[in-house]
Amino acid sequence: MNKAVAFSSRNFKEIIRDPLSYIFCLGFPLVMLAVMTLVNDGIPEEAGMTIFRIDNLAGGIAVFGLTFIMLFTCLSVAKDRSGAFLVRLYATPMTSGSFILGYVLPTSLLAVLQLITTLAASFVVSLITGIELNTLGLLLTLLSLLPTVIMLIACGLLFGTLFSEKAAPGLCSIVISLASFLGGVWFDADGVGGVLLDICNALPFYHAVKAARMASALDFDGYLPHLLITLAYAVVITAASVIVFKHKMKADLQ
Amino acid sequence: MNAIETENLTKRYKTKTAVSGLSLSVHEGELFSLLGVNGAGKTTTIRMLSCLSKPTDGECYICGHNCVTEQSAVKGLVGISPQDTAVAENLSVLENLRLMCGIYGYSPEKANRRIDEMTELFRMSEVANSRAKTLSGGWKRKLSIAMALISEPKVLFLDEPTLGLDVLARRELWNVVEELKSKITIVLTTHYMEEAEALSDRIAIMIDGSLAALGTLSELEAQSGESGLENTFVKIAGEFGKGA
Repeated sequence: MNKAVAFSSRNFKEIIRDPLSYIFCLGFPLVMLAVMTLVNDGIPEEAGMTIFRIDNLAGGIAVFGLTFIMLFTCLSVAKDRSGAFLVRLYATPMTSGSFILGYVLPTSLLAVLQLITTLAASFVVSLITGIELNTLGLLLTLLSLLPTVIMLIACGLLFGTLFSEKAAPGLCSIVISLASFLGGVWFDADGVGGVLLDICNALPFYHAVKAARMASALDFDGYLPHLLITLAYAVVITAASVIVFKHKMKADLQ
Repeated sequence: MNAIETENLTKRYKTKTAVSGLSLSVHEGELFSLLGVNGAGKTTTIRMLSCLSKPTDGECYICGHNCVTEQSAVKGLVGISPQDTAVAENLSVLENLRLMCGIYGYSPEKANRRIDEMTELFRMSEVANSRAKTLSGGWKRKLSIAMALISEPKVLFLDEPTLGLDVLARRELWNVVEELKSKITIVLTTHYMEEAEALSDRIAIMIDGSLAALGTLSELEAQSGESGLENTFVKIAGEFGKGA
C-alpha cells in the first residue's frame, strides 16, 4: 500500500502542476455551465425547452466534467508508458496493483474535488436564477456519480494502456464528445426518442446523467435502474482495464 | 560469491537473437563495462539482469538469486539508471528522491537520511528544490543515478549514463562513479571508449549478442596485440565479425 500511496502522490503532483488540468478539469465545465445558463436565459418559456435549466444542467455538466478526468488519467498512463520512467519503476518491488492504485487514487480525488466545485457552482447559479436546487439533492448527485467516476477513470486507464501518447488524447476527445452528446447533456434524448434514444440507452452516459438529474431533484421513481446500469458498466470497464494493464505490464517484461 | 553470474544467457525475439549464450561473472565491488556497437545486446543483457525482460534460455543470478524465479529478492538488490533519463519531470529533485524512498517503503527518518546522503554525494543541494524538467542534462543524469542508488542496491546498472552530455558534465559524472567504485558492484554500458578505459576494472566486448572478449584492459590489449581500448575494440570486433 505504501508503494501505491507514494506513486499516487507523484501522479497527483504531476497532474495539479499541469496548467491544462485547471483549464480542462475545472475551468471548461464551469465555463460551459455559465454559457449554457445564458443560453437557457435566452430561450423563451413557451418553447418548453428545459434542458439547459440549472436543475437539468447541473447533473449533465457534472458528467461532462468527469470525462476530462478520463482524459487526464489516460494522458498520465500513456505518457508514463512512452517514457523510461515506468522502466525504472518496473525494476523496483512495485506490483501491477500498486501501479493501478497509484493512478486511480489521485484521479478519484481530483474527480470528487471537481464534482464539489461544479455542484457548488450550480447551487450558486440556482440562487441567481431563482430555480431551486436543494443541498441534499446535490449531495446525493455527488454520491450517484461515484460509479461514473470509477467508470471514466477505468476508461482512462484502459485507453492510456492500449494507445500511445499521441493516439490516446484523440480517442478520448471522441469519447468526451460521444459521452456528452449521447448522455443527453446537450439535448433532450427522451424527447427525441427513436433509435437515438435506443443508442443512448445502450450506453452508460445517458444513465449516469439521468441518475444525477433524478438525485438532484430528489426524484427516485425509476432512479435505481439508471444507477445500477452505470454501476454495472463501472464494474465491467474496471475489470477490463485491470486485466489489460496487468497483461500489458507482463508483456513489457517479456 | 559473485555479484552477477550468467550461464548461457540468451534472448531471442521473433526474428532476431539479441543476446546469445552469454556466460560471465562479475565480482562484488567491481566496475564492469559492457562495450559494443548499437544492437550488440548490452541493454538487453541489463534488462534481463534487472528483471525487466525474461531470458529465452539460460540463467542469470544477482548475488545468488535467480532473476526469473526470485524476482522480488533481485529487485531489492539492484538499482537501474536507464538509457533515457527516467525522472518524474514535474517533481523537484527532493520529491523524486522521496518518491523512490516511498516505493521502497522507507520510514520518514530513513528517507530523510538517504535523501541527505544522495544530495551530498551528488552535490545536488543547489538544485534540490528545482523541478526535474528545468534541470540540465547533466543534473538529470545525476538525479537518475541518485534515484537508482537511494535504495542502497548491491548492484547498480548504468546504461549509457553519459550519453549526450558535454565533456564537463561527463567528467563530473565520472567522479561520482569513481567515488562509488568498490562500494557497490557497477555494470556500465557505454559507447565512449575513454570512459570504459578510465573507470573499468574489467571490460566485456559484445558483438551481435555474443561475448567477443572479456578481461582487464591490459589483458584485452595483449589478446588483440593493440594498445588503447579503441584500437583493441576495433581489432576484436573486426576479428570476431570475420569469425562469425
